[in-house]
Amino acid sequence: MYGVCGCCGALRPRYKRLVDNIFPEDPEDGLVKTNMEKLTFYALSAPEKLDRIGAYLSERLIRDVSRHRYGYVCIAMEALDQLLMACHCQSINLFVESFLKMVAKLLESEKPNLQILGTNSFVKFANIEEDTPSYHRSYDFFVSRFSEMCHSSHDDPDVRTKIRMSGIKGLQGVVRKTVNDELQANIWDPQHMDKIVPSLLFNLQHAEEAESRSPSPLQATEKEKESPAELAERCLRELLGRAAYGNIKNAIKPVLIHLDNHSLWEPKTFAIRCFKIIMYSIQPQHSHLVIQQLLGHLDANSKSAATVRAGIVEVLSEAAVIAASGSVGPTVLEVFNTLLRQLRLSIDYALTGSYDGAGSVGTKIIKEHEERMFQEAVIKTIGSFASTLPTYQRSEVMLFIMSKVPLPSLHQAVEAGKAGENRNRLTQIMLLKSLLQVSLGFQCSNMLTALPSSFLDRLLSAALMEDAEIRLFVLEILISFIDRHGNRHKFSAISTISDISVLKLKVDKCSRQDTVFMKKHAQQLYRHIYLTCKEESNVQAHYEALYSMLVLISIELANEEVVVDLIRLVLAVQEIAQINEDNLPAYNRCALYALGAAYLNLISQLTTVPTFCQHIHEVIQMRQKEAPYLLPEDVFVERPRLSRSLDRLGPEVFFRQSKISEVLGGSGYNSDRLSTPYVPQLTGTCLPGASRGAPALSRPPGRPRAQRPAPRSADEDRLSKRKSIGETISLQVEVESRNSPEREERAPAEEITYETLKKAIDSVAVEEQERERRRQVVEKFQKAPFEEIAAHCGARATLLQSKLNQIFEITIRPPPSPSGTITAAYGQPQNHSIPVYEMKFPDLCVY
Amino acid sequence: MSMEDYDFLFKIVLIGNAGVGKTCLVRRFTQGLFPPGQGATIGVDFMIKTVEINGEKVKLQIWDTAGQERFRSITQSYYRSANALILTYDITCEESFRCLPEWLREIEQYASNKVITVLVGNKIDLADKREVSQQRAAEFSEAQDMYYLETSAKESDNVEKLFLDLACRLISEARQNTLVNNVASPLPGEGKSISYLTCCNFN
Repeated sequence: MYGVCGCCGALRPRYKRLVDNIFPEDPEDGLVKTNMEKLTFYALSAPEKLDRIGAYLSERLIRDVSRHRYGYVCIAMEALDQLLMACHCQSINLFVESFLKMVAKLLESEKPNLQILGTNSFVKFANIEEDTPSYHRSYDFFVSRFSEMCHSSHDDPDVRTKIRMSGIKGLQGVVRKTVNDELQANIWDPQHMDKIVPSLLFNLQHAEEAESRSPSPLQATEKEKESPAELAERCLRELLGRAAYGNIKNAIKPVLIHLDNHSLWEPKTFAIRCFKIIMYSIQPQHSHLVIQQLLGHLDANSKSAATVRAGIVEVLSEAAVIAASGSVGPTVLEVFNTLLRQLRLSIDYALTGSYDGAGSVGTKIIKEHEERMFQEAVIKTIGSFASTLPTYQRSEVMLFIMSKVPLPSLHQAVEAGKAGENRNRLTQIMLLKSLLQVSLGFQCSNMLTALPSSFLDRLLSAALMEDAEIRLFVLEILISFIDRHGNRHKFSAISTISDISVLKLKVDKCSRQDTVFMKKHAQQLYRHIYLTCKEESNVQAHYEALYSMLVLISIELANEEVVVDLIRLVLAVQEIAQINEDNLPAYNRCALYALGAAYLNLISQLTTVPTFCQHIHEVIQMRQKEAPYLLPEDVFVERPRLSRSLDRLGPEVFFRQSKISEVLGGSGYNSDRLSTPYVPQLTGTCLPGASRGAPALSRPPGRPRAQRPAPRSADEDRLSKRKSIGETISLQVEVESRNSPEREERAPAEEITYETLKKAIDSVAVEEQERERRRQVVEKFQKAPFEEIAAHCGARATLLQSKLNQIFEITIRPPPSPSGTITAAYGQPQNHSIPVYEMKFPDLCVY
Repeated sequence: MSMEDYDFLFKIVLIGNAGVGKTCLVRRFTQGLFPPGQGATIGVDFMIKTVEINGEKVKLQIWDTAGQERFRSITQSYYRSANALILTYDITCEESFRCLPEWLREIEQYASNKVITVLVGNKIDLADKREVSQQRAAEFSEAQDMYYLETSAKESDNVEKLFLDLACRLISEARQNTLVNNVASPLPGEGKSISYLTCCNFN
């Protein structure tokens, strides 16, 4: 074996001679091309010899390596590569074994050049698609060694980069070679993934370090070549892109552990970058698995520092956006439950100052502001998850979050004591913030299904009204629900603009569902607005929110009836300030006046009733002259100039109910209703806790108008209308609160029968004129004698009859449904017409 | 097989706290060097050394792991396929000795149950700074059923002995447990190692 080639060449087998001939005298000369062609030709014509050729070549190579004759090593490798490329046939298998042995030999070497040479050959091999790869091949060593090369710490930075690049390419090769073949060594096993993934991440992570070095002109040219980080990223993408459902977990887990170990959650840029790569390269139907793993990791890190948790949550948020519709997967509520649980935990940590609630020794110090940041991150993430959901799931999620809001006097145990209250308040705030985040950009076509009573009842419950901050959240949430056309920012500042067309409002006609929604919940909303107005702790933000809310209801949900109610409501709010039974400070009173002015200014222009506009305009002008501190422009500034003489204002600076009902009544609005002052009403099902707000409801007994019965004529008219067809009566139900005996003094506002309730729920709003016309028709039919009606109908029927006969004679074909056509044409109740038709129809039916 | 340049192939993984001298031990053994300002290992390092024991060529694949915590996940992935583990501590560093139970737990968790573990107390050249007595370490290794040796990579004390003894032990283990020594078709890249130690248990 150690004989020098050539001396006894004639005695050696042909393949050995051919192999020996490809090596030149001087390794500098490189592969002898013509002889290589001969060898290739021989190998192709006698494939059964291929394995022997391979074995002999590898034997020579191993010998050359140990003798440090690297020139010949390179030549042998080149020859192997060429043979490998040339022989795409089944006999390649045995040859591959010698080939891989040689690659392994090169990789064992300490010489970087040989390592790179070996890797390059391996990569070439990896790109060959074998028909029947050998199944007992193991790539264990390759994975280990390539991973090790990815971590190279060679002294020379250039060599180091080259070795690392080789390592990455090698891993890529192994992945390509094995990933698609289930019978091959399973590359997805944790033992391989735990090497491959961290090695790639390690290189990816060092991209920033390399770039942050001052780029010298020399490096600038280097840049044109691919960096290890770019290569690693490509490799990672390729790997993840090929991951099947069952493999995702094994591929993602090392990422999570790597980020843990290298504490990369905290600056989080890298973590986010990683997961962006993951989310973008993974097959989209698997993305929810990644989300689930991240959530699981968050749970596992419940007791880690807030910054770590915040990093994970941040990553979740980014990942959710990328995964879009598929991010949540089948367990929507589970996702939100986890996030809300983390939120609660964080609140507990911040309050107790330790991770186990006992404050035992050795626990890490909890920084409250870090917890706060974490909470913000969770809320943001809840928002980004929610934004990926379809509408119906979003409202489900909102119900879910709402159900978690702790409310006193419900089944949820609410901790007593100051600590408990504090926790409650914080939890409420956090959950409402989450809710607000979810509701942002939420566009429900159907308010009724999006906001069921169970949700509204809780949201509007009195318990959420006491605290100024919470109160504001509730308003904001309502606003973002109601605002479906993105109008809200146009009303962020309160003002009395003289021409609303500059706002370019987007308005759709109030849909039927919206009308039904308002029928059901309007009183609840009004009451909420009214009571909120009365709160002394309101600041400018509250008034702005109240203003937006009023305006948005008017734009989005209003029909005439709602407009009337809103005007009544605003007038009642003006009254709060005027009578001031709650001893509100001057600022609040002025703010309420200003709120009224701003709203009435807007609604007057929306209704486009000239006389209404005029009245409002007059009052505003009067205020500008006499009492500018009653206008938003003067109240809602940094230092409002307020007047102390609020109780000595002349009547001309107020909006007058009588005047408004007069001008609007003239334009077909329900003036009777308008002239009835607004009284907050409890409607529908109300929470037991809601009665806490009851004292605010009580009006002083001396109020003359509160109990004044509506004028008799109006009552009669209303009663007669009720009998007519299609009449609608708005629902005004007084639910007597057991806890507020004062209210019993008041006479029930209206007679309630089953009929009215049923109608109120079922019927659709019908326009006034249509109603009037019908009433006349009905009246006529009710009062006039039968003969007259019969004659009237008969005359018309005979006319029609003759016309029809004419037509039928021409067409001969019988009309499909003559009776239907006739009744529809007349638009009259059928029972009156039937006798007339019965007389004539038999003739018609002969056809 | 005439093609093979060795009769046995074993994988040895060095583990232990950061800075106890794992890399120096390997360098001393494979290259006969003692690199004075050796930096912390990144991830894993790979060395190969072929030794001859009783006329048989034994190839030792040595995986030198980083002691730093942040590389723990990648280093752990190398335990699994190891034939032998060299658990190293620094005799001048009490802390590195106290961490040993933790390392044993890791071995328990990640390594094969047939793995041979050797406990090595390194840096005996710094005898005056010794914090861990030989007796204590010997008792510990006995309790854990490990081989125990004290070395100095700097003075080259016991380094050869460590690896050669280990190789002998690995050979005899392999012989004991494998009657069929000349298994056909060794796996590329793997040599014959898999057939030596994975097919039978000997505990």
